[in-house]
Amino acid sequence: MSQNKPEKRKKSKLWQFPWGYRESFVIAFFLLLTGFLIELLLGGGVRMPAWPVNIAIILIFIIYFVLIHRMIKHPIVKWLSSTQAAIAAITTFTVMVLLLGFIPQGATSQEPRLIDSLGLTNVTSSWPYLMSALYLLIVLGFTIVRRFRSFSIKNIAFLLNHIGLWIVVVAASLGSADMWKLSMQLEVNHPVMTAFDSHRNTYNMGFGMMLLDFDIEEYPPEVGLMRNADYTLKLEKGGKLATVEEGTTEILDKYSLSFERYLPYAQKYGDIYDTTSHRGGARAAYIVVTDESSGIIAEGWVADGSYAVPASYLMINDELSLAMTQLRPKKYSSDIRIYHSMEEYEDFHIEVNKPVSIGGWMVYQVGYDEQMGRWSETSVIELVRDPWLPVVYVGIFMILFGSLYLLWMGKGRIKTKKA
Amino acid sequence: MTWLDYPTYLLLTSVFWLLALVLLLTPKKSVFHTLKAVFLFVGWAAIITFTISLWISLERPPFRTLAETRLWYGVFISSIGIVLYYRWNQPLMLAYTLFMALLFLFLNYLNPDTFDKTLMPALQSPWFIPHVVVYIVGYAFLGFSSLIGVYGLYLYYKEKNIERIMLMADNIVYIGFAFLTFGLLFGALWAKEAWGHYWTWDPKETWAFLTWLAYLLYIHFRLKKKQSPKTALWIVSLAFVVLLICWFGINYLPSAQSSVHVYSS
Repeated sequence: MSQNKPEKRKKSKLWQFPWGYRESFVIAFFLLLTGFLIELLLGGGVRMPAWPVNIAIILIFIIYFVLIHRMIKHPIVKWLSSTQAAIAAITTFTVMVLLLGFIPQGATSQEPRLIDSLGLTNVTSSWPYLMSALYLLIVLGFTIVRRFRSFSIKNIAFLLNHIGLWIVVVAASLGSADMWKLSMQLEVNHPVMTAFDSHRNTYNMGFGMMLLDFDIEEYPPEVGLMRNADYTLKLEKGGKLATVEEGTTEILDKYSLSFERYLPYAQKYGDIYDTTSHRGGARAAYIVVTDESSGIIAEGWVADGSYAVPASYLMINDELSLAMTQLRPKKYSSDIRIYHSMEEYEDFHIEVNKPVSIGGWMVYQVGYDEQMGRWSETSVIELVRDPWLPVVYVGIFMILFGSLYLLWMGKGRIKTKKA
Repeated sequence: MTWLDYPTYLLLTSVFWLLALVLLLTPKKSVFHTLKAVFLFVGWAAIITFTISLWISLERPPFRTLAETRLWYGVFISSIGIVLYYRWNQPLMLAYTLFMALLFLFLNYLNPDTFDKTLMPALQSPWFIPHVVVYIVGYAFLGFSSLIGVYGLYLYYKEKNIERIMLMADNIVYIGFAFLTFGLLFGALWAKEAWGHYWTWDPKETWAFLTWLAYLLYIHFRLKKKQSPKTALWIVSLAFVVLLICWFGINYLPSAQSSVHVYSS
């Protein structure tokens, strides 16, 4: 960061008021240093306090800001609400987030390396990160207090953006310890009462969940040319695969493929495929391949295969075969019954992007048994409870409106030459 | 229409825009000025036509892969350049934006997508289009502000007056920054619906946030009027590097291999 230029500042000593960039960055540096030292000495990162300690901290914070506004003329308070302090705080925080962006997170090796001990493989719960965030929040808080004193309608966007940001950061970080995120693995017709957190601790939920039905809607199957040598797909840049639909013909490279039959649920009998009513059926198509110059060159079955039915390729020549791509889900969903007691239950339906609020929890569809594919009878759901969410949303919407105002007004100081 | 038809449209756009650029400095009210407007429009119409018909034949919004976002970037930044040119008479900015648009469109020629209609369940949401569109509009404005930054540095080292260019950079950063903020927050609201939490420090989120911080730094630095414009210009120019890492670089970062945002195959 550059030092600022004005001459009288150059000659002033460090720590002589008013403080500027030098002091702001020196303080930032020592804050980070302290953070890294604590991390090295204590290790293990920071644990955010849960209710009610977190709300107490927030209240102390706010009371402190309100009380301090009487001292607004004090040079340190003045400095804390200055642009220079803001820039130092943003820069410091940016440095920590940059580390987060470049260093793969999550300690992997058995022996803790230096970056592990410094908290750099777990930045968001490290002491230096906490220090940088605190610096940012304090400067932000003082800036808000100062602007409040000279409140005017023009300040609305400023206050919305700054207070909104303060609320989001405080509620999201201090509220994190109150958040519950549990997952449940449901099997068809088996009531489940336990859930797991990310450390595989189990919890008894006090209610039962039972999967009634799991459903996958899939994209139509596609076939492509595969190299016989290494089983990789030969796909022209910008090209596409041929979509399988009974009775249609598609061109792929120089070959014309006509799809004589398509079976969405097929079993293999000897060399042929036929429709099956059993579980585990694969997708199979009977394809006739013609080459413009030499006529029909190959015909036969191509299938994607499943856990129960083998896949089939159709050899066109020594180099290439036709192969069907794996099933790709368009959407998947679960019908679930929740038992509040033995007699009392409720049914609901969830799918990706469409969670449901039930029994005080938000319930999300997250996964299924991918090995079984469309025959999965397992559904993985997630239960989330975040009491601080409304507070975070208040902050988010404040920033949204503040930004809308920014967009409308711009910096608002356009001077045209003629004016 | 698929990416296989793309070269034809790219050629049309490139030829017409290059012709327009040749006529860039022709005076108003001349035949050439009208001709230039026609060339600009035809080039723009060609790429728009491709984009729309790609959308129709994909049967899903073309916002998923890198090539698709580059396509939109080309469309948006050239549109911004054309509007700015006619609104504020900025021929140099028009040249810049058309050049940038062609560069990004040409990258798609070298590296087109395979035609893929599928859209994974997580992306099937009403948030999908607004989330990506505000980001790309934000990127287009912020990229543009960084171009102005580089141009400002050039003027600065040539010891020319840069006051006007600074004001322009400021205003464009404010617009782009607002869109970037929308992108981040829409993303947060969507993430809550899709993944159960509004912020998970996914690498793409982290880098989008870093981009936001970089331009935030610029905005705050510019609040002090007497500060060196050189530093401000460097900040806004380098911020674009962060933006590019967020957009493309993420696919190559070792820290981002598990990102839920890497959708292109």
